[in-house]
Amino acid sequence: MTNSTTQHTNGNTDYAIEAKDLHIYYGNFRAVKDVDLQFRPRQITALIGPSGCGKSTVLRAFNRMNDLIPVARAEGEILFHGKNIYDEDVDPVEVRRRVGMVFQKPNPFPKSIYENVAWGARINGFKGNKAEMDALVEESLRDAAVWDEVKDKLDQSGLSLSGGQQQRLCIARTIAIRPEIILMDEPASALDPISTLRIEELIQELKKNYTILIVTHNMQQAARDSEFTAFFNMDEDRAGYLVEFDKTNELFTNPKNELTEQYITGRFG
Amino acid sequence: MIGQDYIGDRVREDIYPQGDEANRKIRRRRRAGKAWRWLFIVATVSAIVILSVLLIKILNDTVGLVAQESVLPERELLLAFDESQVLAAPNILLESEDDPAIASAIADEPNSLGFIPWSAYLTQQDRLNLVSIEGQLPGAEAAGTGDYPLDRPLYIYASTSELQKKPHVAAFLAYYLQHLDEVVPDAGYFMVDAEQLAEQSAQIAEGLGLEELPAINPADFEGVINITGSSTVFPITQAMADRFIADGFRGTINVDPTGTTAGFQKFCIDNDRSIDIVNASREVLPTEFSACQANNRRLSEAVVAQDALSVVVNKVNTFVTDVSREQLEALFTTAEQWSEVDGNWPGETISRFIPSADSGTMDFFVEELFQRESLEDLEYDDLVSIYTANISKGRCRAVEREQRFYDDVLICEDPEKFAEVCASDSPPTGCTLPPREEPGLIQLIEADVIKPKVLASWNGIESVLRRDEILAEAAQKYPNAEVFFKSWLSWQFITSPQSSYPEIAGIRTAILGTLWVVGIAILISFPLGVAAAVYLEEYADKRSRFNQIIQTNINNLAGVPSIIYGLLGLAVFVRALEPITSGYIFGAVESGATANGRTILSAGLTLGLLGLPVIIISAQEAIRAVPPSLRQASFGLGATKWETVRHHVLPNAIAGILTGVILSTSRIIGETAPLVVVGASTFITTDPTGPFSKFTTLPSQIYQWTARPQDTFRDIAAATIVVLITMLLLLNATAIYFRNRWSKRLG
Repeated sequence: MTNSTTQHTNGNTDYAIEAKDLHIYYGNFRAVKDVDLQFRPRQITALIGPSGCGKSTVLRAFNRMNDLIPVARAEGEILFHGKNIYDEDVDPVEVRRRVGMVFQKPNPFPKSIYENVAWGARINGFKGNKAEMDALVEESLRDAAVWDEVKDKLDQSGLSLSGGQQQRLCIARTIAIRPEIILMDEPASALDPISTLRIEELIQELKKNYTILIVTHNMQQAARDSEFTAFFNMDEDRAGYLVEFDKTNELFTNPKNELTEQYITGRFG
Repeated sequence: MIGQDYIGDRVREDIYPQGDEANRKIRRRRRAGKAWRWLFIVATVSAIVILSVLLIKILNDTVGLVAQESVLPERELLLAFDESQVLAAPNILLESEDDPAIASAIADEPNSLGFIPWSAYLTQQDRLNLVSIEGQLPGAEAAGTGDYPLDRPLYIYASTSELQKKPHVAAFLAYYLQHLDEVVPDAGYFMVDAEQLAEQSAQIAEGLGLEELPAINPADFEGVINITGSSTVFPITQAMADRFIADGFRGTINVDPTGTTAGFQKFCIDNDRSIDIVNASREVLPTEFSACQANNRRLSEAVVAQDALSVVVNKVNTFVTDVSREQLEALFTTAEQWSEVDGNWPGETISRFIPSADSGTMDFFVEELFQRESLEDLEYDDLVSIYTANISKGRCRAVEREQRFYDDVLICEDPEKFAEVCASDSPPTGCTLPPREEPGLIQLIEADVIKPKVLASWNGIESVLRRDEILAEAAQKYPNAEVFFKSWLSWQFITSPQSSYPEIAGIRTAILGTLWVVGIAILISFPLGVAAAVYLEEYADKRSRFNQIIQTNINNLAGVPSIIYGLLGLAVFVRALEPITSGYIFGAVESGATANGRTILSAGLTLGLLGLPVIIISAQEAIRAVPPSLRQASFGLGATKWETVRHHVLPNAIAGILTGVILSTSRIIGETAPLVVVGASTFITTDPTGPFSKFTTLPSQIYQWTARPQDTFRDIAAATIVVLITMLLLLNATAIYFRNRWSKRLG
C-alpha cells in the first residue's frame, strides 16, 4: 500500500470522518482504489477530477449510498467516530441520518414544502410536538436561506419552486435531521450562475456547523469555497485513485503532482 | 425560390440538391408524408365508424316497435277486481240489467243509493236526487266535454264482413246513424257531435265499400235482425227498431238487453252467428276484440249517443249532495252506514241498487271510480287475491312452497297445513325465506296470469322510418296484438329477475352477480398484484435466475387465453377447494354431499387470477416510473426501505397502478369463457346473497340469450349489453376519479 501523494496534516482524532485504504467495486470492476482521506470537522473539502474518476463514488461511500446499487461493494474502512461504518453491526440508516447528502439535481419530494422538511425529521423519530416541529422546519429553512421565499406558501408543493430554491429546500431538508457531515454531489451544476452563487454563499454559512464534502467540476468553485481539495484521476485500468490531497491554496498554487498541475491548468480533464 | 450562394462559380454545398431540384425533392418528401397522414386519418375514421356502427346496432336492437298480446290484459284483470270490490259491498238490495227498474227501486227506498244511465234517471227524476261529483253535475251542458267524470259515449258494434252479406242489417245500421237526432233526445241521452257522426258514417260506408251511406227506404229490405248487449243503449236501439219497422221494414228486429259484457261474450267469444249487432256502453276490450277477430268478425264501431252516468239517491235524502272521489269509493264499497263516509250524515244503513256485473255501465263505473293504471296501484293483499284467483290450485301450492305469501299462513292449501308443512323434516324453501313482496308478486302475476307475449319486434330505425308500414303489417298479421314502441331497456328490465319469458325477464340477478364476482376478483387481485409488484421492483434481486423466471412467467400469463384460467378455476377452486368455495367448512351448506363449488367465490377467485398479471405488470411499470432521485432523497434522509416505498414510491405510483386496475377490471367484467367453465348458472332467478351463492353475470346472460332462436331474446341481449357497457363506464369513471384525486393531492 503506497500513499505517497497523501498529506497527513494532523492526528487521527481530529478527523470528522476518514477513509482508509478504500476500494470500491461494481461487480468485478474496481471503480476506485486505494483511497486514504481525512476530513477535519467544520471544514469544506472539495473533491475534483476528470469525469469518470470515481469522485462521486467515493463521496457516496461516506454515507453508504452505494449500497443501493446491488452490485456495488466497498473494501477497506471508513472511520466515523472511530467506527468503520461498513462493519456488520452498523446500520446504514443510522449512518445516513448522521451523514446527510445533497444531490446534483434538486430532488424535493412531491409533497408540501413543510412536509419536505418535516418528513425526514419525523421518520427519524423527532421527539418534539407540533409546535416544535414547526420551529424546526422554520429554523432549517432559515439556515438554508430559503425561509423568506417560502414562508407564505409552506403548504404548496416543493416542486412549485425554482431550481435554486428547490436545491436550498433540499439542503434545509438535510440539515433538519441534524447530520454531522453533509455530502454534496455537484450541488450547483444544474443551476444558473446566480442560484449557484447563492448556494455557494450558503455553503460558507453551513461550514460553521457542519463538515462538508463537496464534489465539483468547477475549479473556481473549489478554489473559492474549500479549505481542502482532493484531486482524483483515472488509472489505465479505469479505476479512480486519489492523486493529491492538500490545502486548497497549496494544491492550486503549488501542486506536488504533475497530473494535478496539468488538470488545474486545464490541460486535460 | 431562395437565391444561391456561390464560391467562385461553384454553388456552395453542391453535395446536396440545389434550386428546383431541391424543391422537387422536398415536395416528394412531403407527398410521402401526406400519404401517411391520410392513411392515419382513414384508419382513425374507420375505427370510429366501425365502433359507432356496433353501438348503433346494439341501441337499434334495444328499442323499437313490438306487437304484444296478453292472455289476460292487465286492464281486464283490474276491471274484474274492481267490480268484485263493488259487488262485495254490504247490503246490495238489487243488482239488475234493467236500468229503469233500478231507478224506481231507488225512488222507493229512503236510504237508497245507486248509479244509473241518464235516461233511467229521467224516468224517475221527480223522485230522485242527483249527486254531484267534486262539484260537477251531469247534464246536457257537460255532455261530451269531459268535465263530469262519469260522462261516457255509447256504442253499437257490428261485423263488417257480415254487413256485406246481410244488406238488411247494413241498411238498419245506416238508417240508425241517419236518424239519431230523432231518437236520442227522446230516449234520454245527449247527441253525438255532428262532426264525429259524419266521420263514423264515412268509416262504415268505407267498410261496406261505398262512398257514403245511401238514403235508406226500409220497405226495400226484409229479414231478421238480432241485437243484444247493453241495457243502456237499449232504449235508443229499440226506438230505432220501432221506427225502422214503422217506416216499412218487412221483417223482425229483436233487441235483447243483456248487458255489454254478456253481449260481447255471445258475439265474440261464443261466436253466436245469429247476433248481428251489439249495443255497448263501453269500448270493446282487447280480448273481446281479438276473440271476434279469431272468429273472422272484424268489428266496426259507432258512437251513437253521449250518456252521463248518474249517481242518485232518494228524494228524501237531502244530505248527500256532493261527494269527493274518495267518498264515492267508500259509498260504493265498504261503508255500511252514511255516517262512515261523512260524520254529518245520519247513521242509517245504506241500501245499494246497482247494475249487474255483466253490464258495460258497471265496467265503466268502476274504471272511473278507482282509476287504476296498473297493478302497482293495488295493495299487497289485493294482489295476492288476484293472483290466487287466476291460477290453478296446483300452481298456487307450488309457488307458495317456493316462497310464502304471508308470514304465518298458507293460503293455497288447508290453513292448518302451515305447521305441518313448515315443521316437517325437510321444509320447503318457502318456510325459510321471508314472505314475498309486492314487486315480486306483480312479476308473478305478469308471468302466470297476464302472460304478455311479444309476437314480433322491429328494430329502432325500422320503427321510426317504416312506422306506418309496420303498423299496417302488424294489424294484418297480429290483429289481436297491441302494437307499441318499447324500450327493452327499462327500469323494470334492470330490476326484474331472470325469466324464461323475454317479455318479463330482467337482469337484476346478473347485475348483482357481476358486482359480486368482479368485487371479489378485485379484492383478490388488487392487493396481491400490488404487493407482488412492490416485491419484484423494490425488494427482489433482479439478477437472480429465479426472479427472472417469475418475471417472465408473469409477462406470459398476461397473454394466456382466458378459458385456460377457467380450466384452472374449475380444477382448483370448484373441485379441489370445494369445501371452501362451497362454504361447507364455514357452515354455509348443510352437508358435504350437497356442497357445490360453482359459486361466486370460485368465479371471483378465477377472475382475480385472470386480472392479476395485468395488475402486476402495470403496477411494476408505475413503480419503475417513480424517479430514482426520489428514492435516493428518501434514503439519504435516513429512511428505511419500507418508509421509502410507503411514503414515496407507492403514492407516486398509485395513478399508474390504478390505471392497471381499470384495465384489469374492464377485462374481468366482460369475461364469459372462464365463467362458462367455472359454472355460471344458465338459469337462476334468485339474487346472490353472498360469496357462496350460485350466480350468473351480465356477459354470461348475454351469451345465453343470444344463443336463443327467438328475436325477442336478441333484443333483451342488446339491452343487457347497453347495461354492461354503462356499468363498465361507471366503474372506470369512479376509478379515474380516484386516480385524479389522489395524483392531484400528491402533485
